[in-house]
Amino acid sequence: MTADAVLFWILAAITLAAALTVVLVTNPVYSALSLVMTMVGISALFVTLNAYFIAGVQLIVYAGAVMVLFVMVLMLFDLKHELQAFTQGKVSGAIKIGVVGMLSGLIVGAILMSSGTSTVPAVAAEGDQTKALGKILFSQYLFGFEALGVLLLVVAVGAVALSRSKGGTHAKH
Amino acid sequence: MPSIDFVTQVGLTHYLVLSALIFSVGVAGVLLRKNAIVLLMSVELMLNSVNLTFVAFSKYSGKLEGNIMVFFVMTIAAAEAAVGLALVVSIFKRFKEVNIRFFEHLKG
Repeated sequence: MTADAVLFWILAAITLAAALTVVLVTNPVYSALSLVMTMVGISALFVTLNAYFIAGVQLIVYAGAVMVLFVMVLMLFDLKHELQAFTQGKVSGAIKIGVVGMLSGLIVGAILMSSGTSTVPAVAAEGDQTKALGKILFSQYLFGFEALGVLLLVVAVGAVALSRSKGGTHAKH
Repeated sequence: MPSIDFVTQVGLTHYLVLSALIFSVGVAGVLLRKNAIVLLMSVELMLNSVNLTFVAFSKYSGKLEGNIMVFFVMTIAAAEAAVGLALVVSIFKRFKEVNIRFFEHLKG
């Protein structure tokens, strides 16, 4: 039992438990809290995969910016008294849970049965992966990077315009 | 099948199975919850699990393209959260509730 394996199992348990809590807890504020926990767990898993830059970006962008957005919208509304958290209907609920179970069973079965995934040795990544990442991003994938910049501008303007419009989607006039 | 080797030797399979399980939890959240904000959170969960798959494949194949893709996915996810929450805000202004049921009344 190496330290790597112990670390992986602990992180996997924490991440999966936090992900389940997001779905099962009825108070949305607790959902947001456990979503932060999931993000931090996944970031730590990125560190175990030697993707240090992506782990940092995950912490800053997801656990920082996106979650601030979520929590701010939650606090804007008074959602403590949520009357009905889950969809109603026992039969349809059972069907949904069954479909999700079948989906996960299919994916996991396909992964476990596929030959060769367990025997692939990890390619030793030499220390400075971030530098190589930057070089690829700003040469080979430069167009995608610029397009993302334009997309973010459009989304920022669109989000402000959407939430400032009077009367929401049903303006009375 | 789960021998002692499976527990001690962490490889690509482990990361893939973990991200498949997190993805399924996200799907369950999208199907079962009624609160639009929790729905968006479940979508974020699914996107995160896919990111984990990308990074795991990137490490075990020795190519950096997976990390680039994760970078792009993160940006798109942030944009998606911003637009989704703006829609939720405008729904809340009209109906004083963020139940997903009210999204069927969407019009420009």
